[in-house]
Amino acid sequence: MRLTIYIVRRLLFALLLMSGVSLIIFFLVNAVGDPIELMMAETPGVSAQTIERMKAYYGLDQDALTRYLIWLGKLLHLDFGTSIVYNQPVGSLIATWGWQTFKIQVPAILIALVIAIFVGTTAARRQHSRTDFSVMSGALLGQSLPAFFLGILLILIFSYTFDILPSYGAYSTRGYLWGSVIADGLWHMVLPVAMLTFFNTATLTLLMRSNMVDVLKLDFISAARASGIPERRVVYRHALRVAFIPVLTYLGLLVGLMLGTAPVTESVFTWPGLGYLYVTAIHQLDYPIIMGASMVIATMLIVATTLTDIAYVLIDPRIRLE
Amino acid sequence: MSDSRSVNAAVPFAETAVIARHKPKGIWRQGCERFLHSRTGMLGLALVALIVAVAILGPFIAPFDPQDQSAMLDPGAKAPPSWIHPLGTDRMAYDVASRVIYGAPTALIVGLGAMSIAAFLGIVVGGIAGYRGGLADEIIMRATDFFLVIPVFVVILAVVRLLSGMVVNTPLESIPYLNLGTIIVLIGIFGWAPIARMTRAEFLRLKNQEFIEAARCIGATTGDILFRHILPNALPSLIVMVALGIGGAILSEAMIGFLGFGDPKAVSWGQLLFFNYESLKVAPWASLAPGAAIFVTVLGFNLLADGLSDAFNPRSGK
Repeated sequence: MRLTIYIVRRLLFALLLMSGVSLIIFFLVNAVGDPIELMMAETPGVSAQTIERMKAYYGLDQDALTRYLIWLGKLLHLDFGTSIVYNQPVGSLIATWGWQTFKIQVPAILIALVIAIFVGTTAARRQHSRTDFSVMSGALLGQSLPAFFLGILLILIFSYTFDILPSYGAYSTRGYLWGSVIADGLWHMVLPVAMLTFFNTATLTLLMRSNMVDVLKLDFISAARASGIPERRVVYRHALRVAFIPVLTYLGLLVGLMLGTAPVTESVFTWPGLGYLYVTAIHQLDYPIIMGASMVIATMLIVATTLTDIAYVLIDPRIRLE
Repeated sequence: MSDSRSVNAAVPFAETAVIARHKPKGIWRQGCERFLHSRTGMLGLALVALIVAVAILGPFIAPFDPQDQSAMLDPGAKAPPSWIHPLGTDRMAYDVASRVIYGAPTALIVGLGAMSIAAFLGIVVGGIAGYRGGLADEIIMRATDFFLVIPVFVVILAVVRLLSGMVVNTPLESIPYLNLGTIIVLIGIFGWAPIARMTRAEFLRLKNQEFIEAARCIGATTGDILFRHILPNALPSLIVMVALGIGGAILSEAMIGFLGFGDPKAVSWGQLLFFNYESLKVAPWASLAPGAAIFVTVLGFNLLADGLSDAFNPRSGK
């Protein structure tokens, strides 16, 4: 019962957050001036009549509050308006470009999780050993290496020096690798996924290691060892279950961090994802995309943190709700 | 006051002398001693000191002026490293080494400026929430949650771009480094939430401790309790967060610059990457040098924060 109340409260708070975010995004974009006039300030020579017509076309002749309510109402129907530059519905643009983001982010998280579990656990089992020290220093270095700089290094090494992997885009422009779309797509994914994986692995490994170190000192592990369960099973079955909980809750934060920096990481590889779409939209002042894409990114972030908060309570029996 | 004096007088003289001689070291002294023994912390301090030295000595050690494009004639643009141009020249025939050196003060100003704003806001907001409690606490913490989940970087990008469009043809255009200032203020304004959270937790922990009660008993004012008793004890954890935040702010500015939304008039590492990234294949040195500078700076502040947190919270973590 308490759990239901908690979940409902958490969901309501998420809804509140989302309406807050929508308010901020809408008024930030509109507070700095009429988007059409901003665009026209940078492209002189358009007649006043055309500007008026454009404003009417994009519904900008009404006052801000009405426009906000209309925009919000359309959002509820997943209608994000029409892009000014592409002249296509923003919703379908976000869906196509968002799929490309999904394609590199999800494998990067999964691979990083697997690496972090094995490396972190190994380091924790040999605390203070040389292995542990090198894992720790490697992870500390990795945490400070900016993802986009790593991307640049990867391009220099694998695309320019050895010329074995493509440096930009999701597909080849002229002819697919081995004539297959799937192989070509995977081939282009290698470098972006490698960069993101590296970025995730450093923090996840540190977290995994420090949790594992703490858990391996607990009584139930000694009890499990004393009852003759093989060490491997003790570590990967019994200890991992407990040590993994904080990692799981960190995942929500991680998703936010990755989506938040997607504009940068995708720009390095000119990857046609949501972040890159967002950057080009900002450069071109395509305000329906700016608002739509930032709304989608914010929503995914809120959903991720809400889900992890709920998962935390569901998984960890030690947490009692008041 | 007279009460506290009589308490003092009741303690035998010899005993106070003994207590005074064995006065335990304060948290600062203990922390500093532990910090001097922390390998990561000292390495971080050395890296940060290096960056600060480069920033201060920049004009004396840089071989060329940051605006000097005279290399266009002799080795030409995108020339590889040589004796005259130790890190080569870039797309616009600027000397890469000089530009990277002149980027150091910009990076430090961004880091320190943004974090001063964030720390000020965070400590005030978090302090009120933690000390007052009740409804104020509830409201402030929900607001903090809100700032923790909004995609800060995404919002900053949009605002910087829109502002730069808005000031076209207005008197604001003539303000020097307006764009850079905007970026600093935005990173600061959107960066206070974690500090507020930490301040609140520390104030909550400290406000009910015995020494605070003791201070209140001898009639210390609220201001005294807040600024002389609680805040100094909360500072160690906050300093760790600020050190981490400086690195983060420098990285954010670099990313904004890399995407092309930086201040065109300022010499910053992100800006250098943006200008030279498209010639990465021909002149990799022009992108590698500013990238490495960003890496070293962020690493320095991260290691410094790591050492500080080991020094001031010895029981937490490892």
